[in-house]
Amino acid sequence: MYKAEVRGPLILGNKDYHQITSDIIAPIDNKTPGWWKVALAISLTMASFGIFALYYTVRYGLGTWAVNNSVAWGWEIINFVWWIGIGHAGTAFSIFLLILRQKWRTSINRAAEAMTVFAVGCAAIFPAIHMGRVWLAFYIFPYPNTRGPLWVNFNSPLFWDFIAISAYLLISASFWYFGMVPDFASIRDRAKTKLKKAIYGFLAFGWTGSTKEWLRYEGLSYVLGGIAAVLVVSVHSIVSTDFASSVIPGWHSTLFPPYFVVGAIFSGFGMVMTLMIVIRKYYHLEDYVTDSHLNAIAKILVFISLIMGTAYATEVFIAWYSGNPYEMFTFFHNRITGDYSFMFWAMVTCNAIIPQLMWSKKIRSNITALFIISLIINVGMWYERFNIVVTSLSKDYLPSSWTTYSPTWVEIGIYIGTIGIFTTGVLFFFRFVPMIAISEVKSVLKPTEITEKH
Amino acid sequence: MSNTHIIGIFDSKSDLLAGIEGAQSKNFTIDEIYTPYPVMEAIDALKRKSRFTTAAFIYGAAAVVGVLSFLYWTSVIDWPINYGGKPTNAFPSFIIITLVLTILTITILSLFTFSIRARIYPGKKYILPDERATDDKFVILFNKATAGGGFEAISKTLKASGASEVYEKEL
Repeated sequence: MYKAEVRGPLILGNKDYHQITSDIIAPIDNKTPGWWKVALAISLTMASFGIFALYYTVRYGLGTWAVNNSVAWGWEIINFVWWIGIGHAGTAFSIFLLILRQKWRTSINRAAEAMTVFAVGCAAIFPAIHMGRVWLAFYIFPYPNTRGPLWVNFNSPLFWDFIAISAYLLISASFWYFGMVPDFASIRDRAKTKLKKAIYGFLAFGWTGSTKEWLRYEGLSYVLGGIAAVLVVSVHSIVSTDFASSVIPGWHSTLFPPYFVVGAIFSGFGMVMTLMIVIRKYYHLEDYVTDSHLNAIAKILVFISLIMGTAYATEVFIAWYSGNPYEMFTFFHNRITGDYSFMFWAMVTCNAIIPQLMWSKKIRSNITALFIISLIINVGMWYERFNIVVTSLSKDYLPSSWTTYSPTWVEIGIYIGTIGIFTTGVLFFFRFVPMIAISEVKSVLKPTEITEKH
Repeated sequence: MSNTHIIGIFDSKSDLLAGIEGAQSKNFTIDEIYTPYPVMEAIDALKRKSRFTTAAFIYGAAAVVGVLSFLYWTSVIDWPINYGGKPTNAFPSFIIITLVLTILTITILSLFTFSIRARIYPGKKYILPDERATDDKFVILFNKATAGGGFEAISKTLKASGASEVYEKEL
């Protein structure tokens, strides 16, 4: 078989299996670092502010937000789409790279999947509170009810969205959790205290690593992987149909589904890069998350950035080519120029121009540069969602309805709160769960193996 | 039946595979193999088969039929709504929700199937012959009563294949 060494070794430092277990479990065994406590305090403060803003919204109603009759979707939908987008990379990483049998996924998939679960959890908050009366959110479930035999609208993308996101959260969480079961067993069997053995023993579900278990485990991975790959594409296509099936200029476009899916994966990969650089730096896991891994993510980001640039250009071109005055107005007078032109150009710069720097090998091997670019991508993707949601709504067909929108402290508070919830989740993940899939890393040790006799 | 087991410990996958081959060539019956990561060759050697994917396909097929029938019942029979004269059986717009609900059904049922068939569930009482199997060792387990050979014979064969330890244990 043709074999090319394009990626370099996946694990550095001539490790043996025991060393891998020790290295990856070390952050769980060691004392809690000081920076972790500071970061947790900041995260919990942010989360508390968000929870207060949520309480305020529920207590006093949606009038506490700046949304109005024209701009009915504000920061909440922007942030919903942003978080869902970030939540996409975990499954994209795990699933697509699993199906394509890319072995470099093994060091990164666990953190990416954790990120997915927390990000989708944050995203789910926004549609729920957007309903106004969040305590009636269960109305969206299709169930025989006492309000007459009235069913939910099964033809509505908003209902599809609800089901798709619920399925996505369930599948991502179970894929993540069952992936961790063998690693929990490793921690259980090395635990020195009774309490630790009991907790991780419970979490390990009685795993022993027998052939019977591994056979079914592999079966489950591939079944969940195969169907989740379809789900990754369908979830964000459905989110985009929430927009595209309307008749609002700037939204009513068949480009939206692929544009949203690619954008979601772009922001998610950006966040994966951010997290992996943090893990590598603060937990000294450079031997597992190598320069070669970051290089591979950087190359994917450059490619997706090109697609994003093409999508932005296509939208503008089609607006002109269609000859539709409303489309042309939205793109040429309310995005490229106008009240929100900063958002449009920030989007183009952050997503389509700056990532192109990663064509240079020098940049791809400079960790600080990669970290900054990954943050810029996430900021850029937020601007993209602002650009889509607010510009189209603020100036639609009737000039008498035109208005501008800027958020209130409550809306900003909820957003800050979700960032706090996300970082709190990530910090607990760093502290109590193996950040790298131990059993999977062991399975790819062989290409760089020196301890095995042949 | 006696609970005495013979346990062979190997340091690497290649030694494990040699050990399996050696034991099978002498017709010793292997009870189970424990590895720190999935070793397909070991699974094949024990002729373990799984119908997991077939089960998942059946769940999917049943879900498609179930969801489409449910949508037909709610939209056409139970509570038909006239959306601007469009047919109540709006099949094309049922496709996406059918796809998503099918994925949800397959996921839930596959998780239960895995839990039941692999016997992996919270609070399970488990027997692990050697705790190093979840760390860095590859373990072959023989039931002394049914292995088809005594400790000496099995030990000699496994050591010749590269086993680092062979010992007896009550499980």
